[in-house]
Amino acid sequence: MTELPAPTRVRRRSYRRYAAGKALGALGSLGFMLVVNFFLFRVLPGDPARTLGRGRFTTQEQLEEFNATYGLDQSLPQQFVTYVQNTLTGDLGISLRYRVPVSDLIIDRMWPTLLLVGTSTLLAAVIGIWMGVNSGWRRGSRFDRGATGSSLTLYSMPEWWLGLLLIYLLAVGPGPLPGLFPTGGLHSPDVDPSSPAGVLDVAWHLTLPVLTLTLAYLADYALIMRSSLLDEIGEDYVTTARAKGLRDVQVRNRHAVRNALLPTTTVVALSIGFVVTGAITVETVFSIPGLGLLATEALTVPDYWVLQGTLLVSTAAVIFANLAANLVYGLLDPRVRT
Amino acid sequence: MALALASLAPGLALAPATASEDEPVTFTVAYLNEVDSFNPFLGIEASSFEMWSLMYDSLTGYAMEDMQPTPALASEWETSEDGLTWTFTIRDDATWSDGEPLTAQDVLYTYERIRDGGPERATWGVYLKGVESVTAPDDTTVVLQLEEPSALLPLLPIPIVPEHVWSDVSDDDMRSYGNEPTGGEPVVGSGPFRLVEGTAGGSTYRLEVNPDYWGGAPHIDEVVVRVFKSEDPAIQALVTGEVDFVEGINALQVQSLEGRDGISAQMGDSPGFDEIAFNTGSIDTDTGEPLGDPNPAVLDPAFRWALNFAIDRDQIIETAYQGAGQAGDTIIPPAYAGFRWEPPEEDAATYDPERAAQLLDEAGYTVGDDGFRTLPNGDPIGKLRLYARSDSQTSVDVIELFSEWLADLDIDSEVRAFESSKLTDIIYEGTFDAFEWGWYVEPDPSSMLSYMTCDERGNWSDSWYCNEEYDTLFEQQRIEQDDAAREEQVQQMQEILYYDAPYLVTAYSTVGEAWRSDRFACLRQQPDPGGVYLIQYGVHNYVNMRPAAEADECAGEEGTTQLSQEAGGEGGVSTAFLVGGGVVLVGLLAVGGVVAMRRRGTVGDRE
Repeated sequence: MTELPAPTRVRRRSYRRYAAGKALGALGSLGFMLVVNFFLFRVLPGDPARTLGRGRFTTQEQLEEFNATYGLDQSLPQQFVTYVQNTLTGDLGISLRYRVPVSDLIIDRMWPTLLLVGTSTLLAAVIGIWMGVNSGWRRGSRFDRGATGSSLTLYSMPEWWLGLLLIYLLAVGPGPLPGLFPTGGLHSPDVDPSSPAGVLDVAWHLTLPVLTLTLAYLADYALIMRSSLLDEIGEDYVTTARAKGLRDVQVRNRHAVRNALLPTTTVVALSIGFVVTGAITVETVFSIPGLGLLATEALTVPDYWVLQGTLLVSTAAVIFANLAANLVYGLLDPRVRT
Repeated sequence: MALALASLAPGLALAPATASEDEPVTFTVAYLNEVDSFNPFLGIEASSFEMWSLMYDSLTGYAMEDMQPTPALASEWETSEDGLTWTFTIRDDATWSDGEPLTAQDVLYTYERIRDGGPERATWGVYLKGVESVTAPDDTTVVLQLEEPSALLPLLPIPIVPEHVWSDVSDDDMRSYGNEPTGGEPVVGSGPFRLVEGTAGGSTYRLEVNPDYWGGAPHIDEVVVRVFKSEDPAIQALVTGEVDFVEGINALQVQSLEGRDGISAQMGDSPGFDEIAFNTGSIDTDTGEPLGDPNPAVLDPAFRWALNFAIDRDQIIETAYQGAGQAGDTIIPPAYAGFRWEPPEEDAATYDPERAAQLLDEAGYTVGDDGFRTLPNGDPIGKLRLYARSDSQTSVDVIELFSEWLADLDIDSEVRAFESSKLTDIIYEGTFDAFEWGWYVEPDPSSMLSYMTCDERGNWSDSWYCNEEYDTLFEQQRIEQDDAAREEQVQQMQEILYYDAPYLVTAYSTVGEAWRSDRFACLRQQPDPGGVYLIQYGVHNYVNMRPAAEADECAGEEGTTQLSQEAGGEGGVSTAFLVGGGVVLVGLLAVGGVVAMRRRGTVGDRE
């Protein structure tokens, strides 16, 4: 037990002021990103018309026509003004590569990513925390050794390689074994993904990629949960709880796990922020048209408006996830409000 | 667990997908690049061109043998004496898929839209360049009036779109008009297939047969395109039978698929070349002042010409191309036999380091005291900067080999690899000595030839090459009406380039393809023989392919390959995976073991 704090107590802010402060900070970061967003990608090497048009736009005229159509012939300050005006009205511009409004493109690509990364994050968090609790509580047990060893191995494996391996084992089927899952894609071509059969079909297609990502993410949660639970086990209040005669499960679930959950909350909150940025390698291996893939492919053009749009969406997601984590923290642990 | 169980069900249901009598015949093809737009005025990717060709027709098509213009929507054409008036007769039996007749008015509308500017002209304007007016005196006649004769005509691969649909698309909307199916209605077209499902950048597209196609209905019911983002899963999908065709794979992958039951694979000649290009004199195109800092050596044609014999093209093909490719020499690949010029035997592009050294000595690049060659004025050459594209292993390998061969000739060099977009910037800044890249050559050589003209410096020229004699020939062949005379001019231009050596052509490229020969037959190569089976000019194979059971119906057709089914054992892919799987297992066991050992010691310490 530590000494009581000195008499000069720091006055705690009210929760409302704390929340308002955090929200204002988040807005500030968002505004900053809005500006950085524009200039960041203009520094990229390459010229969209030349990259896209190599071997296609064979005359100078064709190049100029392309640039004029998509506003690339304007001066940089002029383009910046147009960008800010458009973004504030919710217009993210037209993709240079796909020639469709970027907002349509992002909405189209966001669902596969949310479904894939969201499901995997959720599964990994739930299974990982469960594994961490059991490993930590019975440290050194056979379960602990198996769980920690295998989750570390999976964590160190490159995601794309794990994906390819699963494709071979479960989609192609080695030797006489049948292939159970498709090798890639989001749904079968002739199925409407919103129908009941379509939902099953999407689930069937997503099984392998979700499995890959879940396995890869597992260690994050399992190890953090395990080590923070180990920290708590040594605390006096656990001894007290045992001394009161509580059963082992009660000590674990009511006391130790609750306190050990705080660091894990941070990790989960941060991961949720990164859900929209996608999982580039897994999206590539399983050919899932998600946001991560969209952004990486836009880099090669460079497709300015798609890059700006995806960065804006993903930074906004991280900023809001952080804000949410801060707000929840303020409730869970009043000490952070100082 | 619930997810896994639920997802097993459709898997088992879909697995035995063998075609029965009344089931639709679907040809599923794996693309490695998605369609960037179904709007034929906007897209740029080769896969988009393939889709438009399935959905629309153009006035002329391409022959399978040599890709020369053939009749399509235009059944015939004639030229006036002076070559300035071209009259095309449009077929009267073509209809739009919504029942409206396709007439000369639609052609007129499409061409006017392109001539008016905007993205339409950016995509197709080159084919109507120098056209003074387009008229449609009646429903089956289109007349093009030219300012000067054009050697490009009758080549007109522009997809003709229905006026009654596209007149609703304003110029402003055109910039982002997707031309995708809405509300379950297929996109209105006149081609052999109709697009019923698909969005730009999406991962699956579905086209159903157009039973009223003027060229006769295709023998399959559906074409499904699935986009794969990497090659290995696409190949696995071919093995499982999820897809029937994969293209764009490499030579090792083709080798691993050869000999598998029901699968055929090949490397098809693709009309393109790769080259080592030099900075032949970068200038500021506004002022004419030198730009960048090219090494004086590469500015000298004699120096570049000597290096033509320093390149072992056979070794390049063997190591950098895994044997899949042909040694190259000029910028027109063998696929276009008519336009191609062959170097005379005494100057053929062979590996002859002694001749290279001798030529360098004669040009004044003698070996100095430090063991390196010097410039004719005695100054050291210094390090030549050789650049490769980091996104292509072949590019990096070729440039590294080149650097070694230069070292054998006592020329110092450094190799660096850049992203394509970064390398493009470097080329326009003129801060390089040589780099490796390639071009795809269209059936009409005009575009490729134009990249080497003086006017293209600062635009598409990447070697900064400029030669007045070459430019004069370029202008001549552009308006030459006599085919034989034009071929001769084009050959002369290649000869000039060969001896001036702004490019040292290293290889003619090939494309790997694999397909289920147990499911589909009657495919034909383009160019025939030796070419590719898909992503051709035109959609001959989609229209003419048949299910394998009907293979004998096309057996007599000229040029059609009766695809053989080779029996064979295990392919290389599965072996690679087995080895990989074994490594993982061993790794897992090892890690598990180590962890177990370390943990055992601490078991007793708890509480």
